[in-house]
Amino acid sequence: MSTKPKDGTDIAAGLLFMAIAAFFGWQGLGLDMGTSTRMGPGYFPMVLSGLLFVLGAVILFKAFGRADDEPFGRIAWRGIGFILPAPIFFGLTVRGLGFVPALFVTTLIATQASVRMRPLPALVLAVAVTILSTLIFSYGLGLPFRRFGPWLPL
Amino acid sequence: MDLLSNLALGFGVASSLQNLMFCLIGVLLGTLIGVLPGIGATATIAMLLPITFQLEPVSSLIMLAGIYYGAQYGGSTTAILINMPGESSSAVTAIDGYQMARQGRAGTALAVAALGSFFAGSVATFLVAIFAPPLTAIALKFGAAEYFSLMVMGLVMSVALAHGSVLKALAMVVLGLLLGMVGTDVYTGAPRFTMGMTQFADGLNFVAVAVGVFGIAEILRNLEDEHDRQVMTKNITRLFPSRDEFRQMVGPVLRGTAVGSVLGILPGGGAILAAFASYTVEKKLSKHPEEFGKGALAGVAGPESANNAGAQTSFIPLLTLGIPANPVMALMIGAMIIQGIVPGPNVVSEQPQLFWGIIASMWIGNLMLVVLNLPLIGLWVKLLTVPYFVLFPIIMAMCSIGVYSVNSNPYDLFAVAFFGLLGYVMSKLRCEPAPLLLGFVLGPLLEENLRRAMILSRGDPTTFVTRPISAGLLVLSLAVLVLVFLPQIRKRRDEVFTESDA
Amino acid sequence: MTLSKLMAGLFAASVLTAPAFAQTYPERQITMVVPFSAGGPTDTVARLVAERMSADLGQQIVIQNVGGAGGTLGAGQVANAEADGYTVLLHHIGMATSDTLYRNLAYDTLDAFEYVGLVTEVPMVVTARADFEPADFPAFVEYVKANADSLTLANAGIGAASHLCGMLLMQALEAPLVTVPYKGTGPAMTDLLGGQVDIMCDQTTNTTQQIKAGTIKAYAVTTPERLPLFPDLPTAAESGFEAMQFGIWHGIYTPKGTAPEINQRLSQSLQKALADEGVAQAMADLGTAPSSAEDATPEALKAKLEAEIARWKPVIEAAGVYAD
Repeated sequence: MSTKPKDGTDIAAGLLFMAIAAFFGWQGLGLDMGTSTRMGPGYFPMVLSGLLFVLGAVILFKAFGRADDEPFGRIAWRGIGFILPAPIFFGLTVRGLGFVPALFVTTLIATQASVRMRPLPALVLAVAVTILSTLIFSYGLGLPFRRFGPWLPL
Repeated sequence: MDLLSNLALGFGVASSLQNLMFCLIGVLLGTLIGVLPGIGATATIAMLLPITFQLEPVSSLIMLAGIYYGAQYGGSTTAILINMPGESSSAVTAIDGYQMARQGRAGTALAVAALGSFFAGSVATFLVAIFAPPLTAIALKFGAAEYFSLMVMGLVMSVALAHGSVLKALAMVVLGLLLGMVGTDVYTGAPRFTMGMTQFADGLNFVAVAVGVFGIAEILRNLEDEHDRQVMTKNITRLFPSRDEFRQMVGPVLRGTAVGSVLGILPGGGAILAAFASYTVEKKLSKHPEEFGKGALAGVAGPESANNAGAQTSFIPLLTLGIPANPVMALMIGAMIIQGIVPGPNVVSEQPQLFWGIIASMWIGNLMLVVLNLPLIGLWVKLLTVPYFVLFPIIMAMCSIGVYSVNSNPYDLFAVAFFGLLGYVMSKLRCEPAPLLLGFVLGPLLEENLRRAMILSRGDPTTFVTRPISAGLLVLSLAVLVLVFLPQIRKRRDEVFTESDA
Repeated sequence: MTLSKLMAGLFAASVLTAPAFAQTYPERQITMVVPFSAGGPTDTVARLVAERMSADLGQQIVIQNVGGAGGTLGAGQVANAEADGYTVLLHHIGMATSDTLYRNLAYDTLDAFEYVGLVTEVPMVVTARADFEPADFPAFVEYVKANADSLTLANAGIGAASHLCGMLLMQALEAPLVTVPYKGTGPAMTDLLGGQVDIMCDQTTNTTQQIKAGTIKAYAVTTPERLPLFPDLPTAAESGFEAMQFGIWHGIYTPKGTAPEINQRLSQSLQKALADEGVAQAMADLGTAPSSAEDATPEALKAKLEAEIARWKPVIEAAGVYAD
């Protein structure tokens, strides 16, 4: 390992920006560039991708020769594992299961992201959130959600 | 005087007991729904719109206006308390407001936001009353070239939103611009970056992106080391601003009001820029620019005033031209039509009670908002004493409902999760989300107007400098660039030198 | 404790929303999908009739805005919904044009729906900026033909009413104008008012107030006869442009397989709603009129959809624009 100082965070940031730029550039290849009078759908994104790539490269370049002033810190793996699936689950099931069960499970999933949450309080919280939200949004405001969807044998 | 008799007519209409009550209900409901995380002004109004249909036209519009102010303030409240802006304008409030909340100054931040909004709202209401017709004429002078130059100015300003590396902030702006390109191309109908999913044909949902990169990313950050750290300071010092803090907010509020009133008039994107522009101005004028991003009072007072003033003056194109400046105004038009009023240039002359009644109720709505919300601040701040592990599942549930309610599109929820992850990764890499959001909002406008300007000028790029307003804006952008950029580069260079010395 | 306060406030408000009564077919609330965002012209039409239909059906019809991809997302959702009569779709002419505009549509337009009836047909007006030189429609035609390559034509995006009308206008006049697309009618109209663009052809819903105020100039309407609203405006057909007859028609659909009785019941209810004076007045203010009782039937809508798909296919293919 080199002993030269380098900013690991900025190296990662620079690389990430470059990767995203490359991705957008690649995806934009099939789009028409057009002319300067009538710019095609690909013109502006291509300029932006190029710009982002250059910015990423500069960030990467400047990261060498400088120490990382702030450690990367811990990563919230548990949070990622439970917080992010919550809205996805809601999206997948709100039509099929209906508003009430979808919201209940969504909240229950989200509660599991914290190590401090024990099973019983989690259940109580999910029930409370579901009941209140159903009263507010479905009955109170009359939003067009089906409370119980066709996937349920009701 | 004409104006006085008109205003008297308006206040006569708006201050009937019945209309006052509807205004109050509107403000209250707007605040209560808007304060739910992930539910911004657009979603709130869309949800509450049907309630107003049963009322008479004037009452219905007064209530709607109340809902609008309430929702907007509610959106600022979530931005400050849990870093979850529901609207592009409150994204700026989140930057310093949330930091204030973390320092136990949530009450102060909320009070400053409420008072600043009230002042700005009052001033802007009178501007609407006095200058509506002539201001409209100015707005119509704005063609594609002018909008393009205006957006360029906005992007230049976005650099000031960063409190870390300018380079990374620029990269985030460009990333935001790219994300704004997702969806069907307005000019050719070609789908761009949609991965073949028609659900993204209209682009990524703003609320989904904002909730993801701000709110969800913040929740994840807070969950990193929940064993050994409290998320919020529980010892809330004071609810209301001190005399000294009052003094500090006067300047930002006045300037924010001015900036917001001017930009709000421009349909399509003007009001969006107001809060960002005000933040830039305050950071530039401040004696302590280093405080910005770390809980600067001026960073809340200015943008909140600008935001509210802009919201108010954006009624001008609606009332005088019948043209909505933003999605919220489009909803208002829908409400008017259902009430049998077709908004257009003739509303002022044909239905004076309606026109002036709405203007008067704007001011009354603002007054109610401040009267209602100052006592509620204590309640909102108490929310922070709820243990975080109880609070965030509720936030997740509300976000899911809020994001889904706008378009009933499950893909918007998938986008929330994706942008939550992206926002988290970016924050781990010390890249700030606010510039990304600004880029995302301005990107489509920038491209659309650039291309339109080029079509209209038959491919002649000098159109941007030969049209006087556009040229003026570009010169101004250049000035801002010099003002904002040079000291930052110098500072950055100093930092680099000191770091490598160490 | 904070939530209970919040609840109290909301309950107080929920009293304002209307109650519902039970009956045989509509036993519960009906969802009317509008494939565009709330507050737009289609949403407005939907809310106008939904309110009156609710009164007749004895069940609340709630509007669900499923915007996106020119209305095809909302239509797709209804195509896949249960055919029980509790999900209906209110869509406009886009139902027919999207069949050609979108080459990989997720549903088969003619085979995925049942029909309830036509709701209204909004006429189009050919308009130009207030200081546009020609005095009347024949002069307009001359002028546009002579200056085709220097005049600009605004539209509100691919597949929008103004886009369709613009295509027809250019074809009829054989004048390839410089088209300038916008994102929605609002910004397009703003630029027309400001004189940034020259010509736009759009629905009366969007243009009536501006024409009356004199902020834009109107040249012709696209209806078979002159409009009561603008008795002085000639029809395009009067000047020999028969092809320029069209309007933005709106229809109500149900998913394929919905029982005929349900469609009939909805159709009856639609006819009653359209006969309502309040609805007629609200539509008149927008420069349109409710469809007749004969048109508000499943048969009429089916015929209309088939005819319109056939009509627009060649127009769109000739213009070579696709939205997918």
